[in-house]
Parts: sequence; C-alpha cells; structure tokens
Amino acid sequence: METYFLKNEDIFKFYDRIAEDFQLYVPVRIKSPLKAKCEYQFILPADDYLLKKYSEVNKEEVVFNEYRSVEPAARTFFTYFKEEVCGYFEGEEKKKKDKPAAICGIKNCDLFSLKIQDFVFLQGTGEDSAYKAKRETTLIISGDCPGFKEACFCRAFDINPHASEGFDFNFSPLNNGYLIDVGTERAGKIAQSLKDILTPATFGQISGRSTKRESVIKRLEEHLSYHKIPKKEALQEIVLSGYNSEVWREQMLTCVECGGCVFMCDTCHCFLLTDEPAEEGSRRLRVWDGCLLKNFMKVAGGANPLKMRYMRLRNRYMKKFDYFIDNTGLQACCGCGRCIDVCPGHIDIRYILRRLYEEKYLPTH
Amino acid sequence: MKKNIYQPIEAKILDIIQETPTIKTFVLKPESELSFRTGEFIELTVPGLGEAPFTPSSDPQVTESLALTIMNVGLVTSKLHNMNKGEVVGIRGPYGKGYPLDKFKGKDVLIVGGGVGLAPLRSLLFSLFSDMDNYHKVVLRYGARSPADIVFKNSLHEWSKKKKVDIVTTVDVGDSSWKGSVGLVTTILKDLPVDMKNAVSIVCGPPIMMKFANLKLLDLGFAPEDIYLSMEKSMSCGLGKCGHCRIGKYYVCKDGPVFTYGQLKDIHDIWD
Repeated sequence: METYFLKNEDIFKFYDRIAEDFQLYVPVRIKSPLKAKCEYQFILPADDYLLKKYSEVNKEEVVFNEYRSVEPAARTFFTYFKEEVCGYFEGEEKKKKDKPAAICGIKNCDLFSLKIQDFVFLQGTGEDSAYKAKRETTLIISGDCPGFKEACFCRAFDINPHASEGFDFNFSPLNNGYLIDVGTERAGKIAQSLKDILTPATFGQISGRSTKRESVIKRLEEHLSYHKIPKKEALQEIVLSGYNSEVWREQMLTCVECGGCVFMCDTCHCFLLTDEPAEEGSRRLRVWDGCLLKNFMKVAGGANPLKMRYMRLRNRYMKKFDYFIDNTGLQACCGCGRCIDVCPGHIDIRYILRRLYEEKYLPTH
Repeated sequence: MKKNIYQPIEAKILDIIQETPTIKTFVLKPESELSFRTGEFIELTVPGLGEAPFTPSSDPQVTESLALTIMNVGLVTSKLHNMNKGEVVGIRGPYGKGYPLDKFKGKDVLIVGGGVGLAPLRSLLFSLFSDMDNYHKVVLRYGARSPADIVFKNSLHEWSKKKKVDIVTTVDVGDSSWKGSVGLVTTILKDLPVDMKNAVSIVCGPPIMMKFANLKLLDLGFAPEDIYLSMEKSMSCGLGKCGHCRIGKYYVCKDGPVFTYGQLKDIHDIWD
C-alpha cells in the first residue's frame, strides 16, 4: 500500500479535488458544553461530529474528527432511511445522475459494520441493487481515531481505532499534516493527480504513526478495563446462557421505545418494504425498521412473539451475538457506542454484556 | 437487465373460489411462467397497499397458473378479498425451502393440518398423489373450527376414495349436520394406520395447533428429525434480508418455511 504525506495547509486542495468527481461529505463539529467525567482520571470529550456536504459548509467548520461521527455512517450512507427500491412491474431501473458520494470522516468501527451490511445486502438470496450501486461508487476516506468518546468500546472486540483495510484513502493525523494510505486502484489514480501536494511518506513518519496508534489503543484499553466488557469469543455463549436472565427486564424499565438504539446502530439493518398508494406513483420503498419497536414481529392475525419490551431487547442481543456469529463468524456490534449515547433511558450495552458474563462465570453463590 | 429482487411481476386474477365464509382461493395467471416446488412460498402484492407471503395451494406441476388459498385476516388479505376476477396483483418468488419429497419416499406420510393450513398441504398432496408408487401411504388428519370452516370440502371427499390414502377430518364444534369427529386435531392422532418405524409427519396450521400436534407426534414416537413443520412469522422481504422472521440462527423465509422439529427444538419460544 502506498502512503503519502499531506501538509495541513493543503487539505482543502485534496478536498476540492475529490469534490470535482464526488458529492463529498466532511466532518463538522457539533459543540457540546458537556464533558463526560469518568469515575477515574479521564475526562473525555462529549462533542459530536456530523458528516455534512462539503459544498454546503464553511471551510472553517471542517475539522478532522477525533472519533466516529454521530450518525451511523455504514448504514446512513448505504441504505437511506427511506429509499425507493423499485416501481411496480417496470422493466427499466432508474439511472441516477447524481455524483457518487465520498465519505470523509468514516472510522474503522464503521468499516467493520460495512462487513455486516455487505453480508445482508450483497450475499445470500440476491443482491439489493440500490445498496450495491452505492457500495460500488462511494469513495471511502477513513481516518484514524486519535481520541475516543466515553461510549467507544471497539477494542473490547479487537476492532482497532484505525483502519487497515476497507477504504479508498485513510487519513492518519501526524505532526502538521496527515499520512494518507491509498487502498484502491481508484484512489491511486486520484493520488496521481495530486502529486504536487502529496509526498511519499518517510520511514520516520510511518513509525511515528505506529507509536501514536499504539498510544491511543493503550489509553482506550485502560478506559475499557473499567467497564469489564466480555471478549468477543464469549458473546454467543453468554447471550444463550442468559436467555432467562433478569437483566433484560431490569434494563428495559427505563426504555421509552423511541427506537434510537436501532436507528443509531451501524450494524442494524432491518427494514420493511412498504408500498405507496397508486395516486402517489405506486413506488416500493425500503424503510428502516427495528426490533425494539413494538410491532416489529406482529403478524396479521394479531400474534406478537415480541410483545413485552424485555423480549425485544433480548431479541436484539440474540440477533447480534447468536444469529450473526453463527452465520458470519462476526458479532453484529462494532463497539461504536452510538446506542449508549442516544438512549434516554441510559441502557448500556457494555453493562448488559458484563452482567450476562458475570451471571454465567461469576455467580454470587 | 438484472432483475430487481424486490420487484413483482404482474399476475391476473383468473378465478376466485369462496372456500369458507372467511377463506377464498385466488387462481392467478402470472405474466411469465412461475414454477415452484411444494412448500415454497411467494410474496403477493396488492398494488398500492403492500405485500404478504403465501404458500401456493395448487399443483406444482401446473406452471401456467397458481392458486393461493387465503384467509381474510389483515390489511393485505382484506383488500384482496374485495378484489374481482380480471384485476391485477403482483407476485415475486418462489422463495424458501419447501417439502423435501425425496425424504418421504418409501414411507408412510402422515399429514396433520389445521384450518387454512391445509392450503400448502394441498399442494403437497397433489405432489404425492402424482407419484403414489413412491410413497407407502398417505394419511391426512385435518381439523377445522366448524363444519363451515372446512376448506377443500369436495376434494377431501374425493381424495379419501383414493388407494393408499386415509383421511379423517374433525371439527372443534360440530353442528346438526356434522356426523364426523368432534374435538381438536390432536384427538384424532391416535390409532393411526401408520408404521411409526417408517414414517414421516408434516404439520401445518396455526401455531398453537402446531405446538400441540408436535408434542403429540413426539409422544407417538416420531423422531424430531421426522417431523416437518411449516413455520410462520412476520415477514417482509422473503429474501433473508429484512430481519423480521428470525428464529434462532435461521430466517423462516430463507432457511424455511419448512423446518424439521430437530432443527428448531433447542431454540426458545418457537411457537410464540
């Protein structure tokens, strides 16, 4: 893989070049007066980042995001919340003339989630053509995480806060600029056209980056040690053995059924096909759905296998840590912590997994 | 052009047969031939409203048309019940894994049906009847709520006259004209003319009926691997993508709808 160095002052030249051919999204900061105070020495930032259209933001607003964006990037950019998937009985598929997207500020947790989304929409019984088109054309410009939020827990599942695959470009902030990895042929061609601002990375720069990455991992692992999240190897057995655990009912006491956890989740993928009335053009839409919502599994006759809230919470964990591990070998959780941040009921996946683990391996009597 | 997986093809309603007060059979002619194997299902579109999954009740060997026997129970089905001959619906499919006929060959085939659950079983019966040399015997035990709720009444009578075929029907509640058995379908799962050592059983009906029929069959000595269940769950895409119909590590749409009890026995709450 080729690696280049880009000076800070040349970053907009890079963005401008990408924006020629792509609808570029870049991170902007959403300021928060809050800081998340941990019960130990860390004080972690509570600001969030949004990925916005480069063409619609002031350059002063554009930042390098220290950690993942507030929106679940793997899901939002590849399956829209509500998206037309076909008309009725029409032969031709519509051809969109929009520029393909380029997503800058996507993180390694999101790239892990893309593996889950790919499994759902590209494998098995047929390919989802709307997803496939976006997956093929979207330019992925990932970035290392030099920081993390209180809710971040990727390393608990051995996912790094920096990417080593699955991107076109990857940015690693270093000194007064960025190291840029070129991951694909397509990205290589773009890099060729930017020779005036990209210089080959030196050995010293590469090893400097490694040191930085290791120090982030070390700090993140120290943070995670407090939460005692079980290792990914234990996930399937603890959700199976914890099927009748009290933790499901107990945690759902504060659930307000907003569906935030499923809609902010990068690996959640459930959807409903819904048809618009004839007078509105008889289009078939694919709309996000979520198993924490009351009628997710309700059938026409009225029966609902997930009638109680605790059943829906449990179902979500069974799907993520039993179904997906059985069918893909991967847990459907990237450790981004977006479900923790969004939940008004303070329901915390880290705590639930820890409880399930402790109930199995560290019973109190 | 590559086919869009969510796009239905047109199908014209050729005929509508009122089976019971709440159940109609719709005979459809798809714009292009659609062949299915018994037990596989299709997604039916009522234009402008939405889709629902149904397993055809017709003979799989007939490919130019197919029949769906449908109870009026939800949004899509109630609209469908108000449609007329000549109107157009959409279908896509077939999907899923149907009945593995090869595994039934040379055996006594015990079929247990409840209510509108006889719909998919009728397509299975057509498949078995067209190849009876290969099966030792076909035994059907069918339960309906009342005599008026029995589907395919005339066919049941005709089939029972066939060689190597044994049919008993029961109703939960009889009426003055009903001379047959009264009681749940499990009450007629006794003294079966079936050689348990060389038999398979197939169950299709409402979940509560399947649950108790399955228990009864286990009691009778059927191995979990020899009990075939047609599972029903809320379903949207039919393709193993939308996430609605998961049971354990399976999706009903992609890995079923036909499962052996052996596949499902370690999964919690399968009958809910």
